[in-house]
Amino acid sequence: MEMQWEGKEEVAASKERLWAFINDPASVANCMPDLVEAIVQDGSHVEATVKVGLGPVKGNFKLKIELLPEAGGSHMSMRISGGGLGSVVDLVAGADITDNGNATTTLDWSGSAEMRGQIANMAGRVIDSQARRVINTTFANVKAKCGSQSA
Amino acid sequence: MSTTEAPPNGKYAMGKSMKRKEDARFIAGKGRYIDDIVLPGMLYLAIVHSPYPHARILKVNKDAALAIPGVLAVITADDLAGVGLAWIPTFHGYDKQMVLAVGKVLYQYQEVAAVIATSRPAAADGVEAVDVEYEPLTPVVSPFDAKTDKTLVREDRENKTNHIYHWEVGKQAETDAALAASDVSINERVYFQRCHPAPLEPCGSVADMNAATGTLTLYMTSQAPHAHRTVVSLVTGIPEDKIHVISPDIGGGFGNKVPVYAGYVCSAVASIVTGHPVKWIETRTENLTTTGFARDYHMDVQIGATKEGNITALKVSTTADHGAFDAAADPTKYPAGLFGICTGSYDFPIAFTQLDAYFTNKAPGGVAYRCSFRVTEASYAIERGMEMLARRLGQDPADLRLRNFVKKEQFPYASPLGFVYDSGDYHTTFQKALDKIGYRELRKEQAERRARGELMGIGISTFTEVVGAGPSKHFDIMGIKMFDSAEIRIHPTGSGIVRTGTKSQGQGHETTWAQIVAEELGLDPQNLLVEEGDTDTAPYGLGTYASRSTPVAGAALAMAARRVREKARNIAAHVLEAPLGDVEWTDYKFQVKGVPEKSVTMKEIAFAAYTNPGPNEPGLEATYYYDPPNLTFPYGAYIAVVDIDKLTGETKVRRFLAIDDCGTVINPMIVEGQIHGGLTEGFAIAFMQEIAYDENGNNLQPNFTEYLIPTSLETPSWETDSTCNPSPHHPIGAKGVGESPNVGSPAAFVNAVMDALAPLGITNMDMPMTRDKVWRAIQGASK
Repeated sequence: MEMQWEGKEEVAASKERLWAFINDPASVANCMPDLVEAIVQDGSHVEATVKVGLGPVKGNFKLKIELLPEAGGSHMSMRISGGGLGSVVDLVAGADITDNGNATTTLDWSGSAEMRGQIANMAGRVIDSQARRVINTTFANVKAKCGSQSA
Repeated sequence: MSTTEAPPNGKYAMGKSMKRKEDARFIAGKGRYIDDIVLPGMLYLAIVHSPYPHARILKVNKDAALAIPGVLAVITADDLAGVGLAWIPTFHGYDKQMVLAVGKVLYQYQEVAAVIATSRPAAADGVEAVDVEYEPLTPVVSPFDAKTDKTLVREDRENKTNHIYHWEVGKQAETDAALAASDVSINERVYFQRCHPAPLEPCGSVADMNAATGTLTLYMTSQAPHAHRTVVSLVTGIPEDKIHVISPDIGGGFGNKVPVYAGYVCSAVASIVTGHPVKWIETRTENLTTTGFARDYHMDVQIGATKEGNITALKVSTTADHGAFDAAADPTKYPAGLFGICTGSYDFPIAFTQLDAYFTNKAPGGVAYRCSFRVTEASYAIERGMEMLARRLGQDPADLRLRNFVKKEQFPYASPLGFVYDSGDYHTTFQKALDKIGYRELRKEQAERRARGELMGIGISTFTEVVGAGPSKHFDIMGIKMFDSAEIRIHPTGSGIVRTGTKSQGQGHETTWAQIVAEELGLDPQNLLVEEGDTDTAPYGLGTYASRSTPVAGAALAMAARRVREKARNIAAHVLEAPLGDVEWTDYKFQVKGVPEKSVTMKEIAFAAYTNPGPNEPGLEATYYYDPPNLTFPYGAYIAVVDIDKLTGETKVRRFLAIDDCGTVINPMIVEGQIHGGLTEGFAIAFMQEIAYDENGNNLQPNFTEYLIPTSLETPSWETDSTCNPSPHHPIGAKGVGESPNVGSPAAFVNAVMDALAPLGITNMDMPMTRDKVWRAIQGASK
């Protein structure tokens, strides 16, 4: 099953600082909620293990994260794939990055995920709210970690 | 022999609602199921499943799993290939199936690897730690997409197509001509959705290889222990005498425990390799996603008729979704089983049916879920078709059926698709149903409610089943004829032990088998121990499914009992000091003809058989193998009354009447229980259940949160009654009943809902008729 999300987030950091932050695999991985472990492979790849608890799907997911920055520093794409517990997630996300001119930067993002296995049958009932929790927590962490650097 | 009167009750047991002997232990929690078996040194097996419906396996990394304390081994298809078990034949031998995925996975949740560990938690941890790298492939989710062959499901096969087979029976050209010449005709597609037997106890096994004796003991959830022993022997090369299959108490089967599954094979291999007993117990999700599903037939139904409503021809063209392997549990000699029963209870002058089956990236199966090899699909097609024809003709569906039933005097009736129906009186049975439910009054009430804008529906299903697998001319499993067997041994004190090749999964054999023997021998059924499920002690038989136990093993029991009785008569002649020709079996005892005071009971003869047999061979026992001369044809008339809430789409089944005719009834209470159970399953299929897949091949019902089981809150109150037209070729006239309610009821429910929605112009809807689906149909019709 495929699910889609989108939104806008304002981060209290300059565009350059935010761009540097989201180009750092370790920084990105460390913003994920329920992170168990993050192993940076290279400058654009990190393998993250996160704890998952979605109904009967309880345990760890292993996710491969690939950062795909576009030249110009205004658009970042990201591919996350992996899973566990009889489930697979393939997520593609992208964000347009706009300098607001007041030491804040806006991330205009969208993402879509393809889910297979046990997690898929839980459909929108559970997954959507859980996914939004993950997204909100991730952005909150970005704001906290990146924003605090800029302060 | 045909009669519509109630069957005569036997003095001893036949026809009596004796309480089930087995229930004492079940109610007390003393049943012994597969997971209750614990053996010294036992290991545990758990299975790694694929999250992908179609993908190449790039790598299976076992290291992390093997590093977990307690994990001893991880088995993959490569390991099984080493012992020639990567592939095994499917049930009917037309195809082969992977035990563990070979090269690529063909459906979501397919078994990829098996973990052996010293404890169940360690095995589960090992499963999570096995790292499988996949390359996803495009899945084929619909048989109609499969037809294009754009993506090939089975690259291993010589024929590079998803098409498995074409099968047909009947006269196509004549049928087409008759349809074209008909005044009125219908041509509608009805879909019997993929559903699952979902027994409350999932499958499991404990394999115990004794290296000292070379004997492999397999405790299995098996509906057919002897058949499984033979298959294991043929596949592994282990001599059959070195394989001991024991099927303990089984918590429901409904066809799900007929096929051979990966867990059985892997536990056996693991036990052989390790020398330890190995237990495998399925989870609910594993049961729903990997073991045999049922149905999944898309059926185009064409019926022709005169303008008066006399049917002229039937044609059914089916597209079947078989999943990844052609593994239908079908022991008939016909690829689509007994689907030829699709002419139902009606006297079609001519008929033709054809079926094309396709591979898809879904779990394999096609088990006879509480039905006799595609009879439910066939029954659904004709009963939905007759309903739609009645609407097209503007006739009452009851009147259309009464006009076109096979008549009582036509039996034995040769159907245009090759069956010879044994007995029946469809008009009388249906009339009883109409009278009992007050059909004409209900139609008046419906007219009044419709005038008020209310949605009330009346649905009819007057089905004919074909069961009793089966006669050698129609059936075999890997060449083995589908007879069944009985062995009776009477002890000196007049008690005894009765063994058959069948295996109860809740049907009550321990009671009904004792009743048959007690009736034939004049013994107390409480003192007849019934034993099944152990291949070292039971006579060879083909198991319990497809309503075959009473038609086949029940007949074998009666015949074996008659052999015992004949031997007893010889001993009675000695004891009574009378010529054999003067000794007769009268009123449940032997007596000298014309001298009632000179008699002896079977209990007395039993003692004499061991103490004073005279010139006769001592002992009192017999065995009988029964190859039925024909199938049996139970039938019924079911009527459902529903009310639908226009605002919510909720359907309330106000009444459901089932009149069944299964020939001679052995135990009316057990028959009623069988009917209640089958109707409840039929209700669930009609309103709640479907193993559905999304467009990416995800199984959307892998647990009981999604695949709903009706509780007492949802289940309607059933009204039941019967007529009795015994089978003329069965020793006691019994036909079998366990599956009739599941075969007959779905069409009654759907016809009732369609009848309720008819004023809105809605004529067809696929099951399950969920509240959401009905509400959307109402909303769509209102626009």
